[in-house]
Parts: sequence; structure tokens; C-alpha cells
Amino acid sequence: MSDTVHNTAHNNDKEASRPEAVAPRRLPFTSGQVLLVLGLVMLALMAVVTIFAPLIAPYDPALTSASSLAAPSAEHLLGTDSIGRDVLSRLIVGGRTTLLITSVAVFLALAAGLVLGLLSGYVGGIVDDVIMRVLDVIFAFPVFLLAIAVVAGLGPSVPNLILTIAIVYTPAMARVVRGPVLSVKQWDHVEAARSIGMSELRIVLRHVLPMVVSPIVVATSLTLAQTIFTITALSFLGLGPPPPDPNWGGMLAEARQFMELAPLTVIAPAGAIVFATLTFIVLANGLREVLDVGSVR
Amino acid sequence: MRRMVIARLAWTVAILLGVSFVAFMLVRALPGDFVQTSAGAQNVASDVLEAARRELGLDRPLLEQYLIWLGNAVRGDFGYSFVTRQPVVGEILPRFVVTFQLTLIAGLIAMAMGVATGLASARLRGRADWIVRLYNGFILAVPNFVVATLIVLVVGLYFPQIAIFNYTPFFTDPLANIGGLLLPALSLALAVSVTISENTRAAVLEVSGQDFVMVARAKGLLPRTVLANYLMRNALTPIVTVTGLQVATLLGGSILVETIFAIPGMGQYLFDSITSRDYPVIQAIVLLASAVVVIVNMFVDIAYARIDARAQS
Repeated sequence: MSDTVHNTAHNNDKEASRPEAVAPRRLPFTSGQVLLVLGLVMLALMAVVTIFAPLIAPYDPALTSASSLAAPSAEHLLGTDSIGRDVLSRLIVGGRTTLLITSVAVFLALAAGLVLGLLSGYVGGIVDDVIMRVLDVIFAFPVFLLAIAVVAGLGPSVPNLILTIAIVYTPAMARVVRGPVLSVKQWDHVEAARSIGMSELRIVLRHVLPMVVSPIVVATSLTLAQTIFTITALSFLGLGPPPPDPNWGGMLAEARQFMELAPLTVIAPAGAIVFATLTFIVLANGLREVLDVGSVR
Repeated sequence: MRRMVIARLAWTVAILLGVSFVAFMLVRALPGDFVQTSAGAQNVASDVLEAARRELGLDRPLLEQYLIWLGNAVRGDFGYSFVTRQPVVGEILPRFVVTFQLTLIAGLIAMAMGVATGLASARLRGRADWIVRLYNGFILAVPNFVVATLIVLVVGLYFPQIAIFNYTPFFTDPLANIGGLLLPALSLALAVSVTISENTRAAVLEVSGQDFVMVARAKGLLPRTVLANYLMRNALTPIVTVTGLQVATLLGGSILVETIFAIPGMGQYLFDSITSRDYPVIQAIVLLASAVVVIVNMFVDIAYARIDARAQS
């Protein structure tokens, strides 16, 4: 988000250390630290709710009742949907599917991107050419169209969704890894490690990987935000996890029919999607400043 | 320069071949074949099904099917829709025009908003900068289909006199047509405007630190003149480049937005075709949309290289 904000904070530090400076206004924290803590708190909140979802949810999310489209009340804090299911419970449990798919898929994309990016960047030559050209073809597809094509091809189920998202985001991850590896492998400490006969694998793991962690962490956080979008959008189109399990995108799509009668049925999942996306964007911006990474893409 | 253009062209053709192959294979992997699906629950003799498959060319080897399909596609023949039995091109073209119009309007809105907020953020500094950046960070977190749904909700609740689901063809009433596309385009444009805004800000900040701008100010030119003739003219290149690269986002988003606002464009058609397993239509749309993105990206690269000699290497 902010190089200038970062720089201003930095300048303040410098002026403060100069004795003749006239009492500069100085914040106790940099904006990056504030963002990072805020992001972590939001993430922790989401993690707790997700992990303990069945315990926290006041009702069974699939339980229908006679009071359909009810306004918020003491029994149903966010009201009920068109067939009388408790919106809050569905929201809490629905986050599980969405966040599970998101985190596993991004983890897979990260793992694949790391292996391919390290291989491509460190080994170079023909290996680099082949890997990057193949990834370029995937990269050339509009992400969302590719996701729709793959999910429609494989059929919408949780494992297929995970696989799809992982495939779609691997090229971007590999690029983020490859870039810094290209320069780091020419640094002196890598040369030194090689001259004392260290194995290539050990050099990569001990001396190259640690140097490129920062941009990868930031990129991962941004990819998580994009993945929330992709997964909820697919669910919104009916290509999400199959029906009995609630999920945010599906809830939003279902609620559209009656939304003027019960606006909360739409606003609640919309809010959840925005909150989850915002969490990872805030986190990414905080990490970028704290780890001092330039713009990743 | 010419070598760069030729290399870039060759690479684009290669990517398009790869894209077409992947598009073809992905669609062929769809579960349940069309013949079986359209027979539905009826008990159809297997030799009748076989004959139908032969007629549609579904019994040939996959690679052969691909080459036939590609050869025809290059000549603009994407086969016949399995559902309507009409040529796919004829089905897609009018819808493509609608989607093109929607993405164009969205692109213009995004550019206007992005340049305005980015410029404000770069020029005013301080508090304005902060407000714009907070706003950008938040808008980025609201997906286009959520924006679209909320717009439909708010209009339905508070402005029932606005008819949002009435799509008017351009040649029936151009004004009503464009007016009807404004809200859908706005929901598509918001997220894209953030990217443009951030790049505008960075570009303007970079240019305003350079000597020729300082000279212009020092010799007493009006701030307005400096802004228009010195800052914007030079910051415009990265802004246009970034907008070009957002075409993929706009096209992908139009699928969702068209479905929500009931606009008869390519996105809605793609959605319907996936449901009815209309292979030729899905292939054609995925290929067409990807081709548009790949070709736009190529032009952006070439234009960028023309302007900035550093990118040519």
C-alpha cells in the first residue's frame, strides 16, 4: 500500500536521532506494523470461528423451520433464509468450506510454485525455458475463465475445486519465486557455498530459499485474497461445493431471489466475503511494509 | 524493434495454439457426453446413440477431432451449437458485441475513476492520499459480483422506478442501452479502478520528481499547464498499459455481472452452455475470450516497447 507512508515514518526516525531537530511528531508504530497486527487479529478471529464452527453455530445449518425469511430476532440473530434456515449458523459453517478450499488450494499452489520457481530460476537454461513456456500458456488464460472451464470439466466437488484453484494460481506463484532466485543465485554467499563443495540441494534450501521468503509471503497473502474471490464467484455461479454444505458464494446466489424481503440474507454473506478478502489484503500490505518488499506484481 | 515485434508475434501464435489445445481438451473432459445428456431419461437404443455420436464426429480420435476443430476455427467456423443446431459464430457474435460494449464502458469508467483518485492521491499528499488509499484498499476487497448484487438490492429497495433488468438493444434505443449498462459497468469497474489508481499515483509521483518538471515550474508555467502538458502526458503511458492488462479481469467479471443483471452477453451465454454441455459453444467462448486477452497483451507489450526503449531488450 504505502511506500511514502513508510518513508515518512523512516524520515521521522532520522530526524528524531538528530539532537537539534525540533521535537518531530513521531508515531509509536509504523503503519506497516499497525496493518500487520490488524490483519493478524482478523485472521485469528476467522480461524477461531472456522475451527470451532459446529460449537459456535447456534443451529444446525441444514435445519429448516416454519419461519422463513424472518427478520433478525433473539433466536435468529441474522434472521432466516427462504426455507427457514438460520442465516448466522449457515454463515459460520459456510466459512469452513470456503476457507478450507482456499487455504489448501493456495498451499498446493505455493508448494508447486516453490518447486517450479526454484527449479526454473536456479537451474536455468533449458529447464527454465520449458517450465516458463508451459506456465506462460496457463498464465495467458484469463484466470476466471480457466477456472470455470476446469471446474465444469472435472465437475464441482471440493477436491476438484482445490485442484482447479491450485492449477490456476501456480504460474503466478512460480514467477514470484523465480524472479528473486535469478539474482540471489549470483550472490557471493552462494558462490562461497558452492566453492566449499556444498550440494546443490543444500545450497538451494539453506542459502537461496531464505533470501526469497519475503516476496513469497506477501504474494501468498495476496493470492489468498484472490482465491476467496475466485472460489466464492464459482460458488455464486453454481460451480461451488455441492449443495448440502452451505458456502458464502452459494448463499449469496440463493438469497438474491428474495433479497428485497430479507436484505440480511444477502448482506450477511456479502459481508463475510468482504471481511475474509480484506483480512488477507490488510495482511499483505502490512507484511509488505514490515518485510520491506517492493510491489510484488 | 522489428525483431522484437516478430518474436512477440510468433510467441503470441504459440500461446494461442497452446490455449486452443487446452480449451479443447478441457471441454472434452466434461463428465457425461452430450448425446447421453440430451437423450435424458428416455430409453434410447445404443445403436441410435452411436449413430448420433458418429454424426457429430464424437467417435473419432481426440487429436483428430482437435485438428479438425482448429482448422475450422481458424477459418471462423466454430461448428454448430449442439442445442440450437445453429452455427456457433452466428450465436456468439451478437453476444460478443454486447460484452464488448459492457467491458468498454466499464474500462472507461475505471480509467476516469482511477486517474482521478490516483492523481488526487499523488498531488494532494497528506490526508487526501490516506483517504484514497484506505478507500482503494477497501474497494479491492469487495468482489464485483458482490458489488453488483448489492447495487441490485439497493435499487430494488430504494429506487424501484429504475428498471435494471430491462436490457435494451443498442439499435432500438442507444441512450437507453448505454444507460442500462452504466450500473453493471460500474460494478465491473470499481476493482479495476483501484489498480489504475495505484499505478497513476506511482507514475505521477515518479514523473513529478524529474528535472524537466522542476524546470517547467521554475520558469513560471501555470500549475494547470504543468499538470496537463508535463505530468499527465508522461504518466499516461503506464496508465494505458495497466488498463490494457486489465482486459482479462473485465472479461472474467462480465460473466458474473451479466448473469446478475440479466444482460444477454457472452458471459451469460457461457454459463448457460456449461449447464447444457454445449461443447462447441464453450470451446468457442473460452478460445475467443482468451484470444482477445492474449492479443491485447501483445499490443500492450509492443506499444510499451515502442515508447520505452529500455523494455526492448
